[in-house]
Amino acid sequence: MDAITVEKLSKKFRIPHERKTTLFQHLIGIVKQQYAYEEFWALKDISFEIEKGEAFGIIGRNGSGKSTLLKILAKVLYPDAGRVEMNGRVASFLELGVGFQPELTAEENVYIYGSVLGLSRKEISRCYREIFDFAELERFQNMKLKNFSSGMYLRLAFSVAVHADPDTLLIDEVFAVGDEAFQKKCAEKINEFKSHGKTIVFVSHALDTVKSLCQRSILIDGGRAVSAGQTEKVISDYLVLLNGENHNS
Amino acid sequence: MWQYRELIKNLTVAEIKNRYQNTVLGFFWSILSPFLLAVVLWFVFRNIFKQEENFAVNLLVGIMVWRFFANGTFSCLVSVVAKPNLVTRVYIPRQILVLSTALSSLFTSFLEILILLPIIFALTGGIPWTACLFPFAFILYFWIVYGLGLILAALFVYFRDLSQIWDVLINALFFCSPIVYPISAVPYQLVPYYMLNPITRIIFVYRDLLVAGTLPSLNTFLLLAAFGAGFFLFGHFAFQKLQRRFAEAI
Repeated sequence: MDAITVEKLSKKFRIPHERKTTLFQHLIGIVKQQYAYEEFWALKDISFEIEKGEAFGIIGRNGSGKSTLLKILAKVLYPDAGRVEMNGRVASFLELGVGFQPELTAEENVYIYGSVLGLSRKEISRCYREIFDFAELERFQNMKLKNFSSGMYLRLAFSVAVHADPDTLLIDEVFAVGDEAFQKKCAEKINEFKSHGKTIVFVSHALDTVKSLCQRSILIDGGRAVSAGQTEKVISDYLVLLNGENHNS
Repeated sequence: MWQYRELIKNLTVAEIKNRYQNTVLGFFWSILSPFLLAVVLWFVFRNIFKQEENFAVNLLVGIMVWRFFANGTFSCLVSVVAKPNLVTRVYIPRQILVLSTALSSLFTSFLEILILLPIIFALTGGIPWTACLFPFAFILYFWIVYGLGLILAALFVYFRDLSQIWDVLINALFFCSPIVYPISAVPYQLVPYYMLNPITRIIFVYRDLLVAGTLPSLNTFLLLAAFGAGFFLFGHFAFQKLQRRFAEAI
């Protein structure tokens, strides 16, 4: 059974000529007949399947639509056309520590973030010790989060995230943060997930990481799938694309 | 929604803690404010309506009803926009943001009513048995506030001046409800229109149950239930439709 099926997926953004955020501006716009916006297809007719237990890479230039695609898979954005089917529990890591509340303690935040990721109180309690052990923050359980350094914040968030035990992980370059030791820990954890048969969708600019992690990939450019298949082939297509760009300019 | 009950609970508790986290005194002040408002209004209006029975208690009850409406709808209004990360960085049903805010307002209102009970006892010399039925009215009222909160929260994502507009409307509603004056002060021919305001009905139900000790008619309860169901269903479907583009507009 496929973990993720995407069929003829399209996403359209409306770019107003003048951004209107208040009712007042909308009324003025109607009166002045300036109600125009441009439509822009961020994604057009994207189709692919990801098997269970597979690591799948999404690569492309800045603004190509790869993050939009990941956000649709995460259900944050709503597709305008096409079909997306996801099986199993999905955890999206578009950012670490979503829902963290600076005024509350680390302990309370672990429970909040855990429930954002779909864990029950019981499940969090079960791995509560491990979360703090892994983050190396046992001493700070009762400290308010606003007094945490950014490194501590990140370690705590990451530690909760990896204990969420989802079937599918959607990862968007979030792991390119923190110091080297932390990044190494992240890379190890992702490899561990992979060896446990989790499905991973990985968006990154770091081609080496994509190459070592993902068997198959898709290359997106201008909202269209330009190339798909074995990661090596897709990456070489990507390099050709980048070089072509350089020749033209 | 059921599978997210843990998250709803956590966010509600966090909301309450955030609201009252400035130690015990902060909590004390936030509870004190409606009573201080009542004292001020009582001083201003007591001479005009001095022949009214239980004017002070009825005033307090009216203020409590209005406060739940004002606090509830206003904190719901900003609930989605105030937590952009939970909208653009992760998927959770966005109703949860509104629901947890509405529930924390429900909790605040519940505390205020708890403090109100001994005051009613002191001022009128007793609490009628009908006060036991009060939770029913309270729950029906909650659905009205939550339903309206859903609509407001969804619209606020797209129209950021709605908070100013709503602020004005809430204050207008204060004077369009029989809080500082009895309904007998309303011109006779306007009363049918006046009664369309659900707040008015709820104030009467609250006063019947908590002060007068009379049972509101079954029709009144059915009407409130209809209001609650109507606001909630409309709010739910409007929200469902509007939330698709939240992440783009926020």
